[in-house]
Amino acid sequence: MSLIKDFTRGIWKENPVLVMLLGMCPTLAVTTNAENGLSMGVATTFVLLGCNIVISLVRNIVPKKIRIPVYIVVIATFVTVVELLMSAYAPPAINKSLGIFIPLIVVNCIVLGRAEAFASKTGVFRSIMDALGMGLGFSLALAALGGTREFLATGSLFQIKIIIPWTVDFMLWTGAPGAFIILGCFLAGMNKLNMRKAVKSGKVYIPPQGLGCSHCRLCDIGVNEE
Amino acid sequence: MKKLKETENIFVLGIFLGVCAAIAALVLAYFADLTREPIKKMKMQAVNNALKEVLPAFDNSPGNNTFKKDGVTFYGARKDGKLIAVAASGDTMKGYSGKIVAMAGLKLDGKIRTIALVDGKKLSAVLITEQKETPGLGTVVCERKRQKTIVSIFEEPGKDAALPAGNKILDQFADKSAGKTPWQVTKAGGKFDYMTGATISSKAVTGVVYKIARTFVVNRQEIIKELSKAKK
Repeated sequence: MSLIKDFTRGIWKENPVLVMLLGMCPTLAVTTNAENGLSMGVATTFVLLGCNIVISLVRNIVPKKIRIPVYIVVIATFVTVVELLMSAYAPPAINKSLGIFIPLIVVNCIVLGRAEAFASKTGVFRSIMDALGMGLGFSLALAALGGTREFLATGSLFQIKIIIPWTVDFMLWTGAPGAFIILGCFLAGMNKLNMRKAVKSGKVYIPPQGLGCSHCRLCDIGVNEE
Repeated sequence: MKKLKETENIFVLGIFLGVCAAIAALVLAYFADLTREPIKKMKMQAVNNALKEVLPAFDNSPGNNTFKKDGVTFYGARKDGKLIAVAASGDTMKGYSGKIVAMAGLKLDGKIRTIALVDGKKLSAVLITEQKETPGLGTVVCERKRQKTIVSIFEEPGKDAALPAGNKILDQFADKSAGKTPWQVTKAGGKFDYMTGATISSKAVTGVVYKIARTFVVNRQEIIKELSKAKK
């Protein structure tokens, strides 16, 4: 049972992007279209999986004092492997647009965060499930963000035009401001959904620590939780 | 094992980290070796694809029939042993975010090739093979991207897919040959159009295509001689 829980937790309840707000650099920079977001998610999932396995295997022999450097070495190795494999086998277009972001997975907090908070404390199988769940959650969030931005900017999804008369791109959404606006809307929607769910089941929704929006008075979404 | 986990002996720590790094180095060396050939092949394939688009039908391998002059690489396309056209690839650092690499197909008289007429408009044999311009602005100058629509993916997919997509800026160079005065965009007093919002990219592209074409015109005899040489 707990294996399934480890898997599903990353997808919704502790989604790395939409709840934990980790790895904002690739999230904001890469998600200009759905395809890029998805490929970045898949690449990160692979790194996460490899790192979680290795780190949970060596968790009992790594000296506490140098665990972070050891984790970084493991992560950097996996990222470089992914980079090599991608430039050898991935379609050139994806390789081109993701090229500069792949090395950045090394400093992606999701990977280090899961290594430190989960893999270094639990067994291999649970770590694998955790990595898969977190990776899937990350990929889905990135694909959704990318898809929304792509659609609002050009009227297409996965580079296929859905609304054909749409010829002039709306550049706001593919730029950095659009990334922040859409991410903000996603976070607000996520909080709202969770809140409604909690109210329906008669519980009080407590947003993840530090992520509640009750301190902001711009709208009344966060007010009734007090 | 408990001991190793709690140890504070700096030598043990150092050796442990050293061993980790050594293992990582071994793994990386293995993968670098494994992917060296595929990466080379991938790069070769990208060049060959670009060559196929800018050159007429050929029966040699222009990727192996090359000649470098003044920073421009020339590829010779032959048919029945005779040189029929030349592709040239050169770069500029004047792009909005640095390097832009262009490839152009040239006729033997130095004019830039026209691939086809599409709706009365000439399609030039100019491609940008490498760029880091701003998405949506600079990239519009550089890209030849066939737009897929929800309707077109259900239509027969093979329909004139052999032709690259048109590009307002790149297609201006069709049938032009580089004279003494460098090509300029209208904003700089020249006669080429530029893309509003991407003036720097337009200038850079115009500049690099001129550089390629001009290098060929200036060194024409030498390049043709070199590329006509029989090579194994």
